[in-house]
Amino acid sequence: MRRHLLVVLTLSILLPMFAVLLVAGFGLVHHQWAVEFVARSYVEDLAENVASRISRDAGPYFPTDMHRFRIFSWGPSLPGWVAVLAADGKVLMASPGVRNLAALWRPELPFGKAVEVRDKQGERYTIAVYPVDEGSRYVVAAVAWNQLLGPLVRIGHLWPILIVLMTLASLLAIWALWRWLIVPLRNMDTEISALRLGRDLPRADDPQAVLEVGRIRHALHRLATAAIERNDLRNRYVTDIVRVQEDEKRRIARELHDGPLQDITAMIQQVRLYRMPGAEEERGRHLNLVEETAQSAVRELRAMCDELSPPWLELGVAAALTGLADRLSRSFGVRVVVEADETVETTPERVLAIFRILQEAVSNAVRHGNATEITAEIGRENGGIRFTIRDNGSGFTPDLDFEHLRVQGHRGLANMMERMTLLDGTMTIESDAGRGTLLVFCFPDRPPEEPGIPCTEGIRKEGGPRAGDGPGER
Amino acid sequence: MTIRVLLADDHPLTRAGLSAYLQKETGIELVGEAEDGIAAWDLVSKLRPDVALLDIRMPGADGVTVARQIKEAGLPVAVIMLTSYDAQQYVLASLRAGAKGFVLKTVTPDNLARAIQTVARGGLYLDPEVASAVGDRDFTPEPLSVREREVLILAAKGLSSKEVASDLFISERTVQTHLASIYDKLGARNKTEALLLALKYGVVTLEELLE
Repeated sequence: MRRHLLVVLTLSILLPMFAVLLVAGFGLVHHQWAVEFVARSYVEDLAENVASRISRDAGPYFPTDMHRFRIFSWGPSLPGWVAVLAADGKVLMASPGVRNLAALWRPELPFGKAVEVRDKQGERYTIAVYPVDEGSRYVVAAVAWNQLLGPLVRIGHLWPILIVLMTLASLLAIWALWRWLIVPLRNMDTEISALRLGRDLPRADDPQAVLEVGRIRHALHRLATAAIERNDLRNRYVTDIVRVQEDEKRRIARELHDGPLQDITAMIQQVRLYRMPGAEEERGRHLNLVEETAQSAVRELRAMCDELSPPWLELGVAAALTGLADRLSRSFGVRVVVEADETVETTPERVLAIFRILQEAVSNAVRHGNATEITAEIGRENGGIRFTIRDNGSGFTPDLDFEHLRVQGHRGLANMMERMTLLDGTMTIESDAGRGTLLVFCFPDRPPEEPGIPCTEGIRKEGGPRAGDGPGER
Repeated sequence: MTIRVLLADDHPLTRAGLSAYLQKETGIELVGEAEDGIAAWDLVSKLRPDVALLDIRMPGADGVTVARQIKEAGLPVAVIMLTSYDAQQYVLASLRAGAKGFVLKTVTPDNLARAIQTVARGGLYLDPEVASAVGDRDFTPEPLSVREREVLILAAKGLSSKEVASDLFISERTVQTHLASIYDKLGARNKTEALLLALKYGVVTLEELLE
């Protein structure tokens, strides 16, 4: 099972924290033990010491004030309090501050063993009671931890503060991770899983995300934008193709209507007129008219067939182009010259592409540029094919973006570029108002398993939108 | 009394054929020929023929436009529309534009003469081929209900379902239900077919549709 990022990150914060707390706790427990041990041995020593002195010094005598003075005035002042009590609890002698001792005194305290007690303020003390002279007197000694080991005791108080601080720090760290990393990542995850590439756009920026997540989001946004653009382009292209096909169908219907349909209608009329009674000469005229009209219908139908499926295509590039040039010359009333290298051979779809490009180019040159002479050349170059079309028309300022061309309705040029893109070729336009137009197409003569890169340095700057540069490249 | 006829068709061959038909008919005099809509309108207003044969598709102005001009000018000219191919969608547009007849160019000379004579008398003539293009001649449809007839006649006037609904004070949904039932009874696929079939089977008369 995959681990959740939050769990991983939380563990990576909490585990070291627990380790630190454990080590610190271990140290503190030992420290506590050491403090207790020191206090205990100190108090025990003190009590034992006083008790032994009393037995030795007093002997059988009852201690006097002089004794008291002697016992309690030796050496430097030491922390803690000592008192000697009679069996009935009467204080026989005591060190200064014995009132503190009285507050700690409890009858149930065991003999000969130091114990920890707390006073009403919660201060900690160690106290020991020793019997002297077979229980007729007691020595009581006590010390306050604070007095004996002040700073060491205070360290023990740091422990809960340390825990609270570390807990707060790790909670803060987890919160920061949650807010700046986990939540942005989760949001991005949700957006990505709902994202329909090519249609939706994720948010470009998440101000709460950390820098790296922000960058990923930016990259994603760019990808989605590109996908949408590509999708739009494809949709427009498809719409365009459909529109071109519809236009073409309408044109064919119109041509059928205006041509063969009228001819055949006329033939029916003439046959009917022939059948009607009338002069032999007139009937013969009707019959002749039927024949003429039938011939005209056949011519029109043949021309339409040629246009729909050019029969020269199978004869190779040179024959196809020459045949097309003849037909274009006739139908547009301009001179279309083809100079073809007979050795150029290529795949049928490439021949068709060249064929359609010439068709479009001549139609553009005549209709938009009023050209009267168009020269097409095809030859080999750098292992590929170089196809150029030059006209003497009015020229134009080429648009660099074939998407613009399409939008502006210059479907001819856009279609040429699209065809070149599909053939992994390039197209350059050189034109200027008044200078005519030169179109250069370079493409490999085979599909790209054996790529030839024709015209590598033939790509000209001047108004040179290479088809591959368009946003439509796939 | 001869019927004076004007012929307008932009295709010289078919125009020649049709004019040859007319010249062979007695009682019909071809007074003029036009090769586009504008010339047709000029000749109609100048020559005032009894009957104008107008091709639907012509350069300049199409036949339907010329028919509408004639109707709007209130000229006493009966218009017959000519068409090359079975164009059901033109029939109603032509009739609404004031045409009294609708014939295909493959019409026989006899039927052409009959059409001219019919419209010259003030009648209506629909090429049998136009009507027979849809439906079966021997089919007898289930009669339409009164409401369905009303819906069909209003729809024939070019009203949308919504407008028919508000005219008859019924919901648009009910109108569509009626239309579906009409199509079903007549065996039609769309409104135009339903109208042509209704005319052909005599479910409604042309006068009812055009009133």
